[in-house]
Amino acid sequence: MPTGNIKSTTDIRLPLSFIVFGLVAFVVAQIIFFWNSASLLQGQFRIPEIWSAVHLLLLGFAMIVAMGAMYQLVPVVFLTSIWREKLGYFPLLCSCSGVVIFAGLLAISPAQSIYGAVIVVMGICMFLLQMAITLRQTEKKSIMYAFILTALVMLFFTIAAGFLLAYSFATKGMPFHESIFYTHILFGVVGWFSLLIFGFSYKLVPMFSLSHDYPTHYGKYAICSYIMGLLFVSVSFWIQIAYVQAIGFLLLASGFTLFTYNMKIIYRNRLKRKLDKAFVFSLFAILIGNVIHIIAVIFAFIGLQSAFHWGILLFSYIMCWIVFSILGYLYKIVPFLWWTKQYADYIGKEKVPTLKEMINEKLAVVLFAVLTISVVGLIGSMLAQIGVGVWLAQGVMMIVSMVYAQSMILVLFK
Amino acid sequence: MEREVIEEALYEVIDPELAINIVDLGLVYDIQIAESNEVFIKMTLTTPGCPMHDSILNGVKNRLLQIDEIEVVTVELVWEPVWNPSQMSLAAKKQLFG
Repeated sequence: MPTGNIKSTTDIRLPLSFIVFGLVAFVVAQIIFFWNSASLLQGQFRIPEIWSAVHLLLLGFAMIVAMGAMYQLVPVVFLTSIWREKLGYFPLLCSCSGVVIFAGLLAISPAQSIYGAVIVVMGICMFLLQMAITLRQTEKKSIMYAFILTALVMLFFTIAAGFLLAYSFATKGMPFHESIFYTHILFGVVGWFSLLIFGFSYKLVPMFSLSHDYPTHYGKYAICSYIMGLLFVSVSFWIQIAYVQAIGFLLLASGFTLFTYNMKIIYRNRLKRKLDKAFVFSLFAILIGNVIHIIAVIFAFIGLQSAFHWGILLFSYIMCWIVFSILGYLYKIVPFLWWTKQYADYIGKEKVPTLKEMINEKLAVVLFAVLTISVVGLIGSMLAQIGVGVWLAQGVMMIVSMVYAQSMILVLFK
Repeated sequence: MEREVIEEALYEVIDPELAINIVDLGLVYDIQIAESNEVFIKMTLTTPGCPMHDSILNGVKNRLLQIDEIEVVTVELVWEPVWNPSQMSLAAKKQLFG
């Protein structure tokens, strides 16, 4: 009879440090976006300040939080310990300091940004090595395993392309600069983050909804379709054939839809009727992510070339799918981490709070509602070219990010 | 030592995520008491890879060791038979289904 007496916890200081840094980066990115509202309005996404904010958002917040979450989730999901866990402080130090230097140099002196990139790459490579060895120890290769492994492979390619990009900036002599740039965005934003969120959703969605007896075979089709989509779209950046890109986006959307359908089945089979609001927000992000993928297919099939519209779609994808998913899950993960540190040793000895008592659910409803409205307002204002709307919506988003970060930090005082 | 005493104590071990005790959740599969005042608990969790894995297991040990007669507690975590909702008590079902 299989038993489960395996130590499945990790040193929570490590994931928490990643997450706290990520929250600070999230707030700083929103402040920079607010400061550069006029550039956002004109669709000028490729200017130093916006690059800096985008990298703070994607690397400093999303990437760093994802790394921290992996140090916590991989042991519990795959029932294996992190290989040489203490080494995790090396990626923490390199990635966090590297992101600060990299984002700073992008804003001040893009040509020098490679120095920051080198430090970030060192941290991420160490993280990749640790995760690869940890995953090798996994006995049961589930659909989650496939998603997480492919996400890590995508991260590796993202870093490689990003490094080439930084080198290209430094030397100004790299051919295929645009192709490398789009491949970097595709593998990083679409490949790494989506596959990672897909993978962990197969654990977190049934766990938070207490779902049982659900099939996961749609996940196999979803991953195949999504990876094929990534390959097609990436190839299209190099050979410039429109229908290859359109097929790629269709495959990506099909993969995402299959994933959404699988999540819907899991949701339908849930036992917990009253779900936590933050978790509902993460489910909401899946729906929006799916819609954005379908819009991308339409854009590709009608041959839309407008960098402005693709830019806004990418921005919507980052905010509404990646950032919303992470913010929703984080609202559950941070209280869990802190509870483990503060109360795990006291369970059974004295009365300890439940996880629900660690968070402010009422505030979560307000925060997520206002965040959604501000993102919709921001996208609408950019499309309609309403300057005051962009400024106002980004201002609200900046305030929401501050209140969100503060509410997470407050959990650490409970 | 009475089995009821142990069961009663296990009602006080609460799953912090669901806020329901482990007995009502149907997580406890077997309780055995040896003559040497050693207690053996066979239990499961609602899902393999539950993040509360160690906390709940330690909670069981902590609570039972508070009973004077008990000297040693061994908790075996098993994944078979797989936990299913039918193992929950009516009270737990009511709490979850709202």
